[in-house]
Amino acid sequence: MAHIDDELDQLKVDTLGMWTLVQLQLRKGLEALTKLDKDLAREIILSERRVNAYEIKLDTDCENIFALFSPVAVDLRFVLAVLKINTNLERIGDIAEGIARFVVETDDSFDTKLLEITELLLMYEEAIDMLETSKKAFEMEDTKMARSIFKKDEYLDKINFNANEIIANYIRQNLDHTEQALYALSIIRKLERVGDQSKNIAEEIIFYVEAKVLKHKTE
Amino acid sequence: MPKIETKNINLYYGDFHALKGITMSMEPKTVTALIGPSGCGKSTYLRIFNRMNDLIDNVKLSGFVLVDGQDIYEKGTKVDELRKNVGMVFQKPNPFPKSIFENVAYGMKVNGIKDTKYITQKVEQSLQQAALWDEVKDKLKKSAFELSGGQQQRLCIARALAVEPSILLMDEPASALDPLSTSKIEELIYELKKEYTIVIVTHNMQQAGRVSDKTAFFYLGELIEFDDTKIVFTNPKNTKTQNYITGRFG
Amino acid sequence: MELPKDIARKKRRNQSIAFWILRLISFSIVGILFSILGFIIVKGIGAISWKFLTSWPEDGMTKGGIFPCIIGTIYLIIGSMIFAFPIGVLSALYINEYSKKGWFKDFIRLMTDNLAGVPSIVFGLFGMSLFVNQLHFGASILAGSLTLGLLVLPIVIRTTEEALKSVPDMFRHGSMALGASKWQTTSKVILPIAYPNVITGLILSIGRVSGETAPILFTVAAYSLPKLPSSLKDQVMALPYHLYVVATSGTHVEESRGMAYGTALVLIVLVLIINLLANWLRKIFSKKVKMN
Repeated sequence: MAHIDDELDQLKVDTLGMWTLVQLQLRKGLEALTKLDKDLAREIILSERRVNAYEIKLDTDCENIFALFSPVAVDLRFVLAVLKINTNLERIGDIAEGIARFVVETDDSFDTKLLEITELLLMYEEAIDMLETSKKAFEMEDTKMARSIFKKDEYLDKINFNANEIIANYIRQNLDHTEQALYALSIIRKLERVGDQSKNIAEEIIFYVEAKVLKHKTE
Repeated sequence: MPKIETKNINLYYGDFHALKGITMSMEPKTVTALIGPSGCGKSTYLRIFNRMNDLIDNVKLSGFVLVDGQDIYEKGTKVDELRKNVGMVFQKPNPFPKSIFENVAYGMKVNGIKDTKYITQKVEQSLQQAALWDEVKDKLKKSAFELSGGQQQRLCIARALAVEPSILLMDEPASALDPLSTSKIEELIYELKKEYTIVIVTHNMQQAGRVSDKTAFFYLGELIEFDDTKIVFTNPKNTKTQNYITGRFG
Repeated sequence: MELPKDIARKKRRNQSIAFWILRLISFSIVGILFSILGFIIVKGIGAISWKFLTSWPEDGMTKGGIFPCIIGTIYLIIGSMIFAFPIGVLSALYINEYSKKGWFKDFIRLMTDNLAGVPSIVFGLFGMSLFVNQLHFGASILAGSLTLGLLVLPIVIRTTEEALKSVPDMFRHGSMALGASKWQTTSKVILPIAYPNVITGLILSIGRVSGETAPILFTVAAYSLPKLPSSLKDQVMALPYHLYVVATSGTHVEESRGMAYGTALVLIVLVLIINLLANWLRKIFSKKVKMN
């Protein structure tokens, strides 16, 4: 096996490791949110450092591969894709940390009705699922699977779009829960960002496997 | 303990000061690349380790060269034993005008090994290590000159491995080969690293990046920079190194 | 002021003049060679017969053959080569492979070249005084072979040296780097590669030996012998000397003219065959060690 193959394989393993770490952060965020587990939320905030360190490691690995192996063609696209996916994953990590901070700052547990009408938990599950799907697509170089993410992102967008009105109505009816409602809206906004990041990741996967640029295309 | 260590090496060809106070060391089972412009002394430095510079008239050397902690320029050093331990592969493939088998067996025979069974077995093993066995196993009796350039070079590597060295010196081993043969040699180096300490001189910067763990940059007989290849190629400390590896030399 | 057109024309004219002069000279050399050959063949072919090659001279060398001369020449070739070849090759090996750069090496080279320039009659005289008289070999195959051997020694040394020099150093280094000694390197790698050119040198010196008269004049050659030599101490008849005798000092110079041309033809053909053999051998060997 060629030397560069070993390096690229290792890079892939490490990228998947980053993926798992970020996924775990998101999952813990969901758990902390539903149980209002502030300790768990604090753990997430601490773990964010690990995510950042991981990002730097992957960046350095990519830099070394560029410097030492001058990758071309599919190898080049792979390293470029990893470089960008790495950034996207790190952002998702930031989002998980942001959600954890809301949990730390909230005094009461969330009103179940609020969570229900905004479909926030469903959205959260969906976001985690998107990340899982993109990970699988990356691992198996499956562009069909990667394309399925775009559809899921539309669902998140819809929830996000409806959220304004739902939250506004909710606040009018439950003035004492205003702060909570605003947190919920912020979380929805953040989850929508997770969807966008996952979409970017899917685009990178398709670019790497099929050499097609999907970015900035109006469909 | 480092596999190879040099302390304050100075070497003169007549009046020409070819190496100026080189001190560096190489760890076991690593690949060290020596890079630098032509005439910078990297090949001369390489040839210190198996005393090939002895073959040139009028060479003066000072300083210490330790292989496995032993000073190889000490009086009483058996040069033939040293050269068995420190194998060498040259720039141009130089198989002898003999059969493929005889080429690999040569080193064993001149070193007094007569056991035919051992020789036969070792020839096969060495050719396998050099990733050449499958291509030549049916024509061991054929002349080595019938092989392609890349195959000849791998034959020369097999020839060196057959006398069981622990160090391999390679003087631009792929510079006379086409890209495909070159990448085969590079992969071979990557495999051989698991068992041997390798020092390679190369003009090809990418090659140094691909195959080596450490890189030493020579310029005008001086060691300018010696560090992990990753560092030399991403963040060299010396401007000269930077200029050389980015191709802005001059 | 010359016009560019004129300059170009002048250039072309000079070029063609030079070209024709060179061509003429080459042709005339070939022409001379062929006329000599032709002359000898025409004059000598009549004398050639199976009997001529296999029988003894008769009737004051006006009849019969040159069998003992052919045998004598072959003896001298073998004798001189046994002496000159090993010594020549070994000294060339020493000069080229072992001795370090310096005045001594240059000195040996200079002496060898000087030796090559010494006239062959001087070798004859030297051989006579050293081998025949001083060492009491008498006029004999031994003395003649040694003298001829000395004569061609420089040729053997020079051609062997050139042959060794043409072997690229990478083979020497390749062998030494495996822990081989200098002698192992030289005998197992370098000599086999240099072989074709060494053989060429050997054959060229055989050509030289078979044609020389002066060195054997005082050391071995006999005017006429009743039987073939039986030991190294015996004299022999030889082709070039026989030719000289038949053409100049015989009792019936006119009658033996045909015999003389016949002898010359045999000598020339012998040398020609040896040279062709040299070429052929060189091709065979160099094919064997061909590099790609």
